[in-house]
Amino acid sequence: MAAEQKKVVVHFRSTGNAPQLKQSKFKIGGNEKFLKIIEFLRRQIHQDTVFLYVNSAFSPNPDELIIDLYNNFGIDGQLVVNYASSMAWG
Amino acid sequence: MAAPRDEEASWSAEAARRVWGGAVPLQVHLHDADVTTLPPPPPFLTLGPRIGYLPLLVPIIKAHFSSTLPPGIDTVWFEYKGLPLKWYVPTGVLYDLLCADPERPWNLIVHFRGYPAEILTPCDGEDNVKWSYMNSLKEAAFIITGNSKNVMNMSQADQVALWQSVMKGNLDGYANISTRLKLGPFEEDCLVRTSSVECQQGSDEPESPGPGKPCRVPVRLYVRSVQEDLHDLEESVPVGDWESISYMNRPFEIPKEDEEGRSYITLEHALRTLLPELFSSKTSGSPDDSDITPRSCQQVESASASRQEADMAKSCEVKLVRVQGIELDLDIPFLWVANNLKNPECYLHICVYVSRRKQQPKGI
Repeated sequence: MAAEQKKVVVHFRSTGNAPQLKQSKFKIGGNEKFLKIIEFLRRQIHQDTVFLYVNSAFSPNPDELIIDLYNNFGIDGQLVVNYASSMAWG
Repeated sequence: MAAPRDEEASWSAEAARRVWGGAVPLQVHLHDADVTTLPPPPPFLTLGPRIGYLPLLVPIIKAHFSSTLPPGIDTVWFEYKGLPLKWYVPTGVLYDLLCADPERPWNLIVHFRGYPAEILTPCDGEDNVKWSYMNSLKEAAFIITGNSKNVMNMSQADQVALWQSVMKGNLDGYANISTRLKLGPFEEDCLVRTSSVECQQGSDEPESPGPGKPCRVPVRLYVRSVQEDLHDLEESVPVGDWESISYMNRPFEIPKEDEEGRSYITLEHALRTLLPELFSSKTSGSPDDSDITPRSCQQVESASASRQEADMAKSCEVKLVRVQGIELDLDIPFLWVANNLKNPECYLHICVYVSRRKQQPKGI
C-alpha cells in the first residue's frame, strides 16, 4: 500500500531535430530522481548532450523527485518531458 | 479598516527588506591541495547574501587567492565538513540546513580543482546560476498559476534586469519587475492577488487560477535527521552526504472553503499536510520510515488528539523548523510565512530537523 512505490508515466517528446524514440511512454518509480530520467534518455538516444524540459517550459533540477514533479506538473496522468539536442527554451 | 492593512503592508515591506539584506558571514579557506605558496594564504572573509548563491562569490574569492593557485583551468566548488555544497541551493538555505548550531563565521573550503562531478551538477559560473534561477521561477509560476507563461513571456530586458536585481540584492529593482509576474501575494481566501489596482497593464494578463483551480504555494522542503537523544544542536553529527537529506518539492494547496470559521492556516497545519510521513502517529519505526516515503494517504487530524499523546506516539519528532535563519513558531500563519519569507524565485524554502526513533542500522 503506502510502502509500495508509485510509478509515474513519463511521456517523452522530441523537439527540434532530436532523435525520436520508438516508444515514447515509460513507467518510472516515483522515488527516483529526475537524474534517472536524464540518464535513461541519454542511453535511449545515444547522445550525451540532451536538454530536457517539463511541459515545454523548464528544466527541473536533477535532484528533484519524479513523484514531486508528477504531482506538481503532471498533466492528464503523465509527466511530459520534452527533449532537444540544443537549448530549446532558455 | 485601512489602518491594519497599512500596518500589514509595512510589516511585509520590512520583512522583505530583512530577507533581502540577510547575509551569512563566511570564512573561506583554500583547500590544501590547491595551495602552491608558502605560507598558505590567509582565509577570505566575506558576506554571502542569504538569497544569493555561492558561485556568485567566486570572482571576489578567486581574486583573493589568485596568486597561489596552480596553473590550469579552474572548476570552483565549495565544501563544508567534507560535504560538497550544492551550488543551486541558496546560500542561506545551505547554512540553515547544514549548520545546526549557527557557526559564525561559517568556515567553508573552496576548491579550484577536482570538481566532484558525480555529486554536483556542473557550474561554470554566473550563467549556470541564472539559468537555474529562471528555471525555478518558471516552476514556481507553474505551481501558482498553472502555467509558466508569465515568466516565459518576459522580455529579454526584463529577464536580465530581474536577474541583475537578484544578483545585486536590489529589492526595489526586483519588486518593479516581479509584481508584473503576478505571482503573489497569496490571500486567505485562496486567491492570488493577480488583478489588483496596482497592475493596470492588463492586456497580457496571465491566466490566474480560476474558481475551479485551487491555489498552490510552491515549497521546497529539506528534511534533516538528527540523533534522537540530541539535546544541544551543537552536538549534531555533520551531514556526511546529500542522500541523508530528504529534498522535496511539494506545493501547499490553500484549502478552498472555510466551513467553520477557520481562523488561519498555521505553519504546523501546512507542515502536517506537506509531510504526513513525519506527523503520522505510527508507533513503530517500521522500515518504510526511510528518508523518502511516498505521500501517504493517511489524514492526520490536527486539532483533535491530545497533543502530548500524539507526540509520544510519533516515530519521529520535529525538532526545529527554520526559514531564512529564523526558528519559527509552528503557530505562525503559514501564508504570512509564504508571502514574506520566500526567496526571489518565489519558492518558500523550509528546513526541518527531525529526530527519529532508533532503527536497525541500514545495511551498507
